[in-house]
Amino acid sequence: MDASLQPIISLRNVGKSFKDGQVRALENISFDVRPGEFVSLVGPSGCGKTTLLRLINGLIPADEGEILVLGAAPVPGPDLAMVFQSARLMPWLSVAGNIEFVLRLKGLGASERPKRARALLGAVGLRDFADAFPHELSGGMQQRVGLARALAVEPKVLLMDEPFAALDAMTREVLRKELLQLWARRGMAVVFVTHDIDEAVLLSQRVVMLRPRPGRVDDIVDVEFPEPRWQNDPRTLPAFKQMREYLWGRIHDMVRDGAELEELAGAFGDLDRAS
Amino acid sequence: MSIQPAVEPSTRQGQLPPARISGNIVARRAQKRRALEGSAIFGAQVLIGFGLLAGMYALNAIGGNLLMPSPTSVARQSFIMWTDGTMLAGLGQSLTVIVLGFLLSASTGIVLGVLLGGFRVLGRILDPFVNAMNSTPGAAFIPLIIVWFGLYTEAKVVVVWNAAFFPILINTTAGIANANKELVEMAQAFGAKRSTLFWRVMVPDALPSILSGLRIGAAISTVGTVIAELTMAQSGLGGLLAAAGNRFQMDRYFAVVIVLMALGTAITALLRYAERRLGRWRVSQANGR
Ligand SMILES: Nc1ncnc2c1ncn2[C@@H]1O[C@H](COP(=O)(O)OP(=O)(O)O)[C@@H](O)[C@H]1O
Ligand SMILES: [Mg+2]
Repeated sequence: MDASLQPIISLRNVGKSFKDGQVRALENISFDVRPGEFVSLVGPSGCGKTTLLRLINGLIPADEGEILVLGAAPVPGPDLAMVFQSARLMPWLSVAGNIEFVLRLKGLGASERPKRARALLGAVGLRDFADAFPHELSGGMQQRVGLARALAVEPKVLLMDEPFAALDAMTREVLRKELLQLWARRGMAVVFVTHDIDEAVLLSQRVVMLRPRPGRVDDIVDVEFPEPRWQNDPRTLPAFKQMREYLWGRIHDMVRDGAELEELAGAFGDLDRAS
Repeated sequence: MSIQPAVEPSTRQGQLPPARISGNIVARRAQKRRALEGSAIFGAQVLIGFGLLAGMYALNAIGGNLLMPSPTSVARQSFIMWTDGTMLAGLGQSLTVIVLGFLLSASTGIVLGVLLGGFRVLGRILDPFVNAMNSTPGAAFIPLIIVWFGLYTEAKVVVVWNAAFFPILINTTAGIANANKELVEMAQAFGAKRSTLFWRVMVPDALPSILSGLRIGAAISTVGTVIAELTMAQSGLGGLLAAAGNRFQMDRYFAVVIVLMALGTAITALLRYAERRLGRWRVSQANGR
């Protein structure tokens, strides 16, 4: 069978609880991610998005169901890379040192690491900051280093946990575009967690909508816009408006179905913007 | 409009040049104010110094040499003790005890602290014992140490070790046990093994805490050395203190006190410098947490 048709990530009826079963974080989650696909996970905070990424990364085991990444149970390693909401750079290492750290984990020789680290910093426009320390960088630049670090291991799957949520609107816009370009060039699968519906629709080929308490799949929608999207901004298209209205409609249904209103309003600060 | 006040100063273009000039003036004024403040502070310090000297002279005039030696005779004794080698020998003996005791407590404290911080169960088992030892005044163990190790240098080094070991141990353990969980998870996500996680993430993350443990330990080492030299076989600067005090040679006594002051200050300054060099990233970390 053609390997490219096999899903690179496959979840079947995955469930996860915390605190000896008292907190039901995820229930009956099933979806696949194809190689090179860009999938977003959207949902209000507390619906288990971060937990889902940790499961896919192999940082925690599932209680129920089956998770396959590259055909096997996930193990943290160079095939998977994570970008977090905060950059999580080691403050005692230089920018290049932070990237060399994961290159070393990947098993790259000491002589090769500095060159590779610099090349990757070039890819995110930070070549001149290789010897700077993280605290000398702005938040957006730190997040770029976090992205370069993840790309450094040449992952087959890039996991991103609300990577742009803490940035200002302008930086976020620039980084989204850069992410799309890097994705188009490298072709890894991306699982992108966000609670911003517009961001999910703008970036991804498929949106998995989650609903809270416990976290379940609410809906999965395909997003088809002309590619590459960094050139043709889909936000001006009527289809974009339709898509986001549809997804906002799902949120309102969640509210009607009895999900705590405050809980949703907390995550979607502008709940009535779409109505 | 709510944003207007904030925008106003820079949008009034006609006023931009004067604003820049006044900015320059402001900067120069601030510089001048800082310089003035600096010299005022130094002036006050010199004044206080003279005040202290004058006070010594006054007390000496009223109460005689026993109550307070005159600064002139302290200076004379200092000169004598430095030229005849007494002071240098005492300083050498004291420094030997300080340095050996500190190195011993630093190495054992850090190694054991790393173990206790890394192996949580071990840390929890030993916690009450470490706390009990740390809460006991170091001087309480001096009689026991005399019985076990005698009265000379090795026994004094043990006294210093006993006093400085626990703060270093406790700071190291706490630093590693409280290592940044976000960074640990990041390294795990990229596939770091336990040993990599420990040596390349948790231990470096604990470095600021370890360094402040060392700074406390160094200060305690100086204190411990003088106490050991006073209470055990008299030697070093502490021994000179005791000898001068017992013979009521207060001018000699003050000459030694001055050396101890300088020594303590120098050790603290040295460690501050080391801390700054090694902990360049510390500021950002404190802000980022
Ligand atoms: N380590 C944990 N221990 C206990 N509860 C947890 C833990 N991690 C997550 N949870 C709970 O699981 C639920 C989902 O959390 P999370 O995955 O962080 O949601 P999201 O990322 O969508 O905001 C929340 O109710 C949270 O309190
Ligand atoms: Mg989250």
